[in-house]
Parts: sequence; structure tokens; C-alpha cells
Amino acid sequence: MKANVIRAIAAKDLRESAGSSQVLAPVIIVPLVFVVLYPVGLLVGLRYMSSADVRAFFEKIPVDLVPAISGLSTQGKAAYVATAFLFSAFFLIIPTMMATILAANSFAGEKERHTLEGMLYTPVSDTELVVGKILSAVVPSVAFSWVCFVIYTIIVNVLANPFVGRQFFPTPNWWVLMLLVVPTVSVFVTACVVWVSARVATYQSANSIAGFVVLPIVLLVLGQVNGLMLLGPALFAVVGVVLGALDVLLMRWIVKTFDRERVVSSFL
Amino acid sequence: MNGEAAIEVVGLARSFGETPALTSVDLVLESGGVFGLLGPNGAGKTTTVRVLTGVLRPDSAQTVRVLGYDVPGDIEHIRPSVGVQTDTALYERLTALDNLTFFGALYGMPKADALRRAGELLTRFGLADRAAEKVGTYSKGMRQKVLIARALIANPDLVFLDEPTAGLDPEAAHELMTYVRDLSRERGKTFFITSHRLEEMESVCTKVGVLADGRVVAQGSPTQVAREIVPEIRVRVAPAPGAQLDLEALGALAGVVRVRQDDGSAIIEVLARDAIPTLVRQIAAMPADLLAVAEEPPTLEEAYLRLMSTNEKHAEEVDAA
Repeated sequence: MKANVIRAIAAKDLRESAGSSQVLAPVIIVPLVFVVLYPVGLLVGLRYMSSADVRAFFEKIPVDLVPAISGLSTQGKAAYVATAFLFSAFFLIIPTMMATILAANSFAGEKERHTLEGMLYTPVSDTELVVGKILSAVVPSVAFSWVCFVIYTIIVNVLANPFVGRQFFPTPNWWVLMLLVVPTVSVFVTACVVWVSARVATYQSANSIAGFVVLPIVLLVLGQVNGLMLLGPALFAVVGVVLGALDVLLMRWIVKTFDRERVVSSFL
Repeated sequence: MNGEAAIEVVGLARSFGETPALTSVDLVLESGGVFGLLGPNGAGKTTTVRVLTGVLRPDSAQTVRVLGYDVPGDIEHIRPSVGVQTDTALYERLTALDNLTFFGALYGMPKADALRRAGELLTRFGLADRAAEKVGTYSKGMRQKVLIARALIANPDLVFLDEPTAGLDPEAAHELMTYVRDLSRERGKTFFITSHRLEEMESVCTKVGVLADGRVVAQGSPTQVAREIVPEIRVRVAPAPGAQLDLEALGALAGVVRVRQDDGSAIIEVLARDAIPTLVRQIAAMPADLLAVAEEPPTLEEAYLRLMSTNEKHAEEVDAA
């Protein structure tokens, strides 16, 4: 496995995606809505909501498990719970969505545009091709998630700190989320889409299958992230490590079952 | 390495579902040669290229060896020395230079080498002044040139070109074929070319094969193949403007089998080549003024068309039976 070949594949895909507004528009606009509009809306709204309404907002959340918020006002508890827990799921949806679109474009899209076949004649190994394609979706997904995280951190510190009365964000859970869970989830989703892409003929089919089969399963799992964060950063990190191990197994399996003939045959 | 077989295929068969594409292909190509695989659309030319380059597996074959290695088993040893141009696409949003250097990177070339080589090739193909423009703005012929340059980027020993002159104007096609011949003669590169353009193939190929019904039905040098399929010995008699040839008198000469008219000239079919000198003397002594009397060797195109027509008739007979 040659690192410079993998880098060349990933860099080429990135340059191609960067030149396509059709690919880039949804992956940039939707996340910005998630990380800007929702938190700002909620944190500004809290100023005008009654304590009873605010209590109803988090009555189903086991706030006793969060000692950091005991003693806070109702508004303070709501601000803390929403920003430190509830919105965390957005930060898994962002890389999931972005990785799905980029991976489908880079693999199924290349098949559809008849550019992939040319690569199959070169000395590039199956491992280099699969890893290069996965990285070309994972690197921008993770990097963009981190950019969103920086924006979100600024918003939380400006708008939520007055309710909580101190600087509390990012919590240790969030460092685990951003540094471990976001990358491993991105790899997992991308690997699934690459697997699908190797078996269908068009970008649309890859996107549809990824959207209707892969994404719902992934999102179902992501829905549990709030609960996992309540277990604390150490246990949350274990989840990330397990996911990382799953990624390695999944990638090995994809390389093992990757078949140039199937890729070529799908557009014959 | 000249003289050794760069490609050796025996009994290659490959189907797609119930449809057989190749039934039993046998072919040998010596290193440093230029092989032209001819055949109508759908004859299996591209399938042959894809099997030889290891992206399609043969259903069965006694031997498929490329550059001394078995295909598909040892394909990873072959790929670094092989360049392939097929009917694939370029990265439209990248420049020609980026397209080429990316493929250079896939062959493990250092960036500086890939850039230098890409520059050389783009200059060679007359695209140097547009090297920094996105391929999406290129014409079909320009894209075709970049695809061929891409196959040559890593300076491979063996190059597969699938319909390389499709989309090229006659001048560019001629230049490409001259370049191919130079690379083969001066650098010892081996080329495997599929094409419909029989005149081009005849001028550049050291060997041709005709693919029909999933088999290579004839192979050898273009002259050999043409002679094998069109065995008649012929002499063309071209009269001077205004002169009239006496076809009856020509037909009565010794050793003449038959005479026919062709574009104002007479084509005389003779029994054997050694009858020609006497025949030429006799024709020259006839009253009509002449421009030329010369042996008319069969062309590859004539041989190919005759072979295809024979094959068609044979298929119709089989169907009727």
C-alpha cells in the first residue's frame, strides 16, 4: 500500500468535488442550518419561554445523571442539556450526510462518468483504491464537522453561558465526540456507501440505496448518541474505539470482496 | 526483448450471460511489434483488450500470457509496464495536465517526472497551449489525444489502444500512427491496437489479426493476411487518357484467367506470378498507349471485406440449414 498513491486519489477527488456546486451546495448549507439556526433559535427562545414550558422540554431527559447542572436555573438546565447533549446528534448527522454524498459521487459517480475504468488498468491496488476513495470522503467530512464545531462552540459560549453562569463548553464528552466518534462514524458510513457504489451503476442509485437503506440504519444508531454521552466520556470513548475496530474490519472486507470485473461489468 | 512474445493467447473464451463474445481466440504478438486487431463492431475486440489487461476474467483459456506473466494470476506484475486507452472518459473538471499527472501518480511516478512527461506528451499531441484548461472545454479529438497521452504517461513497454483514431481528423490520425511506428521501431515499444481504419492498420502494423465469430480467423503481416484471403495474382493495366484497351485481346493472352474493368483500367488475373514478365512485354506491344502496367497486390481492406462477406454468407447458410 503506497501512501502517495492513496494521497493522489483522495486529492484528485477533493479537487473534483470542490469544482462541483451540485455536490457541494447541500453538504455546506444543511449543516450550517443545523449548527447555527437551531442552537441560536433555541437559546434566544429560552429568554422568552416560561419556566413551565422549559421544564416540559427536558422532563424526559434523566438530568439527575448530569451533576453539572444541579443548582442551575430551569433556563440554565435547558441551555446546558440542549447544547451539551441534544445537539450532539447533529454533529454525527453532518459527517454522515457529507460522507454519503461525497462517497457516492467519488465512486458511483466515477463509474457513471466512465472515469473509473481508466484507473482499473493502472498498477493501483484494490486497497489503495478503496482507502483513497474512503479518505476522499472522510477527510472533508471530518474537517467540515470540525469547522461546524468551532462555529457551534462560539455560539454556545456567547448565548448559553449567560444562562449557565459559567464557561462550560466544550465538555469532555464533546472532545471524544469530535476527535474519536465523528471520524469513526465517517469512515463507517463512507465504507458502506463505497460498498454499495461498487455494486450499482449510477450515482443516483448509490445515493438512493445509501439514503434509503444505509442512512436510516446509521441514523437509528446515531439517535442513541445522547444516551451514550450520559454514560460519561470514558464509556463514550469505548464506543468510539469499538466503532474504529468495526471500521477496520469493514474496510478489510470491502477490499477483499472488491472485484474489478464487477465494477467494469456493471456498465457494460 | 525483441523476438520474444509480448502477448500469447491460446483458446481464450469469454461470454456475457448466454452471449458468447470470444469463443476461442489464439494470437501471438512479438515484443516491439505493432499488432492490429480488426473486426466489425461487437466482434469482441474491446473484450479481448479487457481480458488481456486483467479487468475481465476469461471463462476458459489454455494460455493468456502478457509480458511473460499469466493473466489474470500475475496481473500485478504486468500493470506497471502496461498503458491502456479504451473508450473511457477523462476528469472533465480537471485540466489536461492534472489528468495526466494524476495517472502518473497512480503509476508511482514522482510528481516532477510526471509533470515533465505530461508536458512532453501534450506538446507532442499539439495541446501544450491548452494544457492548463479544463478537459470539459476540449473537443472530442482533443480528449482522444489526452486519453492516448494518458496511456503513454508512464512510458509503458506495452500499450493497448482501443480505436485510437476515432474522433481524430485525418492529419492527427496520421501523426499518431507515425508516432506509434516510431515508438515501436526506435524504442522497442509494443502496441496492441484495435481499429476499423484498415488503411492505417496496414501502414503501421507489423502484424494484424481479424476477429470474427469470437475467433481470430486470420493473422500475420498485413501482406500475408491479404494474400492469404485474396490469393489471386493480378496485374493492373492503366491506359493513357483517350486510349482504348482491347479486353478481348488481353483475355486471350497466355496465362490469363480472366479480365475485368476497374475505374478505366483493366485488371488481369493470371495463373502464376512468373507469367507476369512475358505478359507485360505482350501488353506493351499492343497498340493502345499505356500509363502503367503493374502487379496489383491485394489490400488489407479488400481482404477484410472479402472475409466478412464470406463469413456472412457462411452464417446465412448455417441459419438456413
